[in-house]
Amino acid sequence: MKRKIVSSLVIALVVAFMVPTAFAQDKFPSKPINVIVPFAAGGSSDLLARAVERIWPKFSPQPVVIINKPGGGGVVGTEFVVRSKPDGYTLYLAYGSGHDVVMPHLQKMPYDTYKDLAAVSRLSVHSVAICTGAKSEFNSIKDMVAWAKKENKPITSSVSTKAGAVDITITALGKVAGINIVTIPFAGGADAVTTLAGGHVMIGGGHPSEIMPHIKAGRFKPLAVALPQRDPSLPDVPTLIEQGFNVHTWGSIKGVAAPAATPKEVVEYLDATFKKICEDAEFKKLMVDLAQPIMYQNSADFAKFLQQAYADYGKLIKDLNISIQ
Amino acid sequence: MGIFDGIISGFGVALTPMNLLFGFLGALIGTAIGVLPGLGPAATIALLLPITYSIPSPVPAVILMAGIYYGAMYGGSTTSILLNLPGEAASVVTCIDGYKMAQKGRAGAALGIAAIGSFIAGTVAVVGLTLFAPPIAEFALGFGPPEKFALALLGLLMAVTLSGDSTTKGLIIMVLGLLFGTVGIDPISGKSRFDFGVIELQSGFDFVTLAVGVFGVGEIFYNLEQQGAAEIVTTKVGQVFPKMTDWIKARMAILRGTLVGFFIGIIPGGGAVIASLVSYAVEKKVSKHPEEFGQGAIEGVAGPESANNAASSASFIPLLTLGIPSNASIAMIFACLLIKGVTPGPFLIVEHADVFWGVIASMYIGNVMLIILNLPLVGIWVQLLRVPYSILAPVVILFTMIGSYSIANQAFDLYTLIAFGVLGYALRKLKFEAGPLPLAFILGPMIEGAMRQSLLMSGGSFAIFFTRPISMTIVALFALFVMGQIIVSVRRSSRCARVQKAA
Repeated sequence: MKRKIVSSLVIALVVAFMVPTAFAQDKFPSKPINVIVPFAAGGSSDLLARAVERIWPKFSPQPVVIINKPGGGGVVGTEFVVRSKPDGYTLYLAYGSGHDVVMPHLQKMPYDTYKDLAAVSRLSVHSVAICTGAKSEFNSIKDMVAWAKKENKPITSSVSTKAGAVDITITALGKVAGINIVTIPFAGGADAVTTLAGGHVMIGGGHPSEIMPHIKAGRFKPLAVALPQRDPSLPDVPTLIEQGFNVHTWGSIKGVAAPAATPKEVVEYLDATFKKICEDAEFKKLMVDLAQPIMYQNSADFAKFLQQAYADYGKLIKDLNISIQ
Repeated sequence: MGIFDGIISGFGVALTPMNLLFGFLGALIGTAIGVLPGLGPAATIALLLPITYSIPSPVPAVILMAGIYYGAMYGGSTTSILLNLPGEAASVVTCIDGYKMAQKGRAGAALGIAAIGSFIAGTVAVVGLTLFAPPIAEFALGFGPPEKFALALLGLLMAVTLSGDSTTKGLIIMVLGLLFGTVGIDPISGKSRFDFGVIELQSGFDFVTLAVGVFGVGEIFYNLEQQGAAEIVTTKVGQVFPKMTDWIKARMAILRGTLVGFFIGIIPGGGAVIASLVSYAVEKKVSKHPEEFGQGAIEGVAGPESANNAASSASFIPLLTLGIPSNASIAMIFACLLIKGVTPGPFLIVEHADVFWGVIASMYIGNVMLIILNLPLVGIWVQLLRVPYSILAPVVILFTMIGSYSIANQAFDLYTLIAFGVLGYALRKLKFEAGPLPLAFILGPMIEGAMRQSLLMSGGSFAIFFTRPISMTIVALFALFVMGQIIVSVRRSSRCARVQKAA
C-alpha cells in the first residue's frame, strides 16, 4: 500500500512537472526571440537592434538574439522573416526602411511588404538631414539656392544610395527650388558622409546618427532636416518647410514587424514590451547617444503611418520621375 | 595632455589586470578565427558584442575587439601557407608563395617570417598611430573619388604582376575577376546586374567566399584527385625557423610591406585586404629575381603579411580621430563604442582620453602577446601537415562552410563557395594562376564606382583626374609604370632581334 502511494506520488510528480512545461509552450515567450536585421552589423538599424537587445531582458523572461541577414538592399532578410513560422519568435527590425517604403514603387518585390507582414511597433524615424562642410559659404538652404542661381552652376551632393531616402529628398529639393543638384550615390551612408567630410562635394545628406560625430567636431554645418516637424535629435536645425521649401520626406522609418499570420496576443505582448523599452530611462539615454530619436507608435498607428509614408514616397517618385531602369 | 603623457597614462589603463585579460582574450580569439578559414573578425566581433554589454567600462570591450581584429591578421597566414586556404581575407596572396614554400618543406620558415613580419609591422604602425594620428587622418580625408579611382587603377596594373608565367592567362583571369565584380546592384544607377532573378546575388559575391572557394576548396578538390601527390606534401615539414638568408631577403620586404600597409590602411575604404595585395605586387616588382615569385619566394610572404598587420592597426586612425569606420571590422568596433556611449571622433582624445590612449597602449601589449603566442604555435601548426589528407580535407571543408555561412547567415553562400571551388579546381587543371582574380574582383567595382562618381562631380570632364594634386601624382605614377614596361619590352625584343641576326 505504502509502496503504491509512493509510486503514485512519483507519477503525480512526474506528471506535475511535465504538464507545466507542456503548457509553458503556449505562454509566449518560452524561448529566445530571433530578431532579424536585414542590414550589415554596425549600421544604424543594427545599432538600434543592439540597443533593444540590451534593454529587452528588463521586461521579458526570454532574451532577443540579433541576426544580421544583409543582402539585396534589405530584401533577403525581410523575405526570410516573411517566410518564417508566424509564432512571434522571428521578428524583423527595420520595418519602414527604403526597401519597404521606396523600392516597391520602383521594382517588383518577392513578397507584399504590407500584406505579408504585421506591424508590431514603430521605434524611431531616421530623418534626412542636409549638411555642408564647415568652411562652406552656405549657412542656409536659401544661401545655397541663391548661389546656384547666381553662378548658374550645379550643386554636387553625396547620397548614401541611388533612389534611397537621401537621394529622393535632395532631388526633390532641387526640383522645388528650381536648381540643378547632382546627386552622387555611394555604397552606403558612411561612404557618402566621408566624401562630404573630405570636402569633395558641396552638400550631403545623411541620418542624424551618421552625421552627428561630424557636427560635434565642427566639420559639418547642418542646413535643414526634411521631416514635416523638427527632428528631436537636431532640435536647432530648421525644416525645409520652415525655410520656405515645400518638401518633406519620412527619411528611413525603423519599426518592428512579424510574419502576417502571427497570433494577435503575441503581437500585443511584443508591442507592449517594445513600449516599455521605449519608456525606459536607460534606453532613452542610449538612443540619445546613438542620435536616433525615439518615436514609438503602437501596432495599429504604425500600420497606418506606414501606408501614409508609402503613399507619400510614391507621389514623390512619380512627380520627380525617378526610376532605376 | 601631450603624446608622451598620453601614452604613459594609456599604459596605466591597459596594464590593469582586467584590461590585460581582455587584451589576451582578444589576441587568443583573433589568432583562432584567423586560423579558421572563412571565419572573419567582423562576424566574430558582431557575435561577441552582447557579451560586452555587461562590462561597465568601454575600455576592456574595445581592447577585446581591437585584439580580435589585429590578432586575426596574425592567424590568417597559417592555413594560407599550410593548405593554400586563406584563413582571412587579407591573407589571400600569402597563399601564392606561402603554400609553395610549404610544398618545398619550408612551412616553418614561412610561418615564422609571417609572425615576425606581423609583429614588426603591427608595432611600427602603432608607433605611427601614437605619433601622427591627427595629421594623417586629415591627409586620408583628401582621398575622394578621383584619388580612389587613380589608386585602384594603379592597383589593377599591379595585378598583372600577380599572374604567373603567361601574361595572357593572367589577363584572362583578371577579366574574369572584373566580371565577377560587376554582379549585384550597381551603386550608381541602382540597377541590379547579372542577378538572374536571384535576390541573394543582388548584393554581389562575397570576397571571402570567392577567395576561400577558388584557392582553398579548389586546392582540396585538386589534391583529392592526386592522392599520391597530396601525401608527399603532407609528410614534408622542414625546419621550423627561418634561416639567416631568409632574414636578409625578407627584411626589406617587411619594411616595405609596413609602409604600404600603413598608408593604404588609413584611406577610407582601403584596409588590410588591398594592402596585402598591393604589397605582393610591389615585392615582385622591386625584386631582382621576380621569377622566384610564385615558386616560394619568402618576400611574397613577408611583405603581404606585414602589410595586412600595418593596415589593420592604421585603420584605427580614421576611427579614433575622425569617427570614420573604414571597413567592416572597424565598423563593428565603432558600433561597440557607440553602444557604450562613446562617440569616436576628434573629441575622443579629450572626452575619453582613457579610451583613446588605453586602446593604443593595449595594441603595443597585444602585439607582444601575439608574437609570444604565435611563434611557439608555428611548431604545432606544421604538425598539422602530418594529419592524413583523408581526415584533414573534410574537416577543412566543414570549417570553410561554417565560415562562409557566418558572413551573411544564409545558405546561398554555401552554394557559391562550392561553385568557386569548382572554378578553382578548373583553373588549377588548366594551369591558370588564380592570383589576379581576387584583386581584380575588389578593384573592379572601386574603379567603376569612383570613376562614375568623379565624372558626376566634374560634370563629365575627365580633367578632374589630372587637376587634383594627389590624383595627378598617382596618374603620373601609372604613366611612368606603363612607359617603363614598354621600354623594357621594346629593348628585350630588339635584343632578341639582334641575337637572331647574329645567329
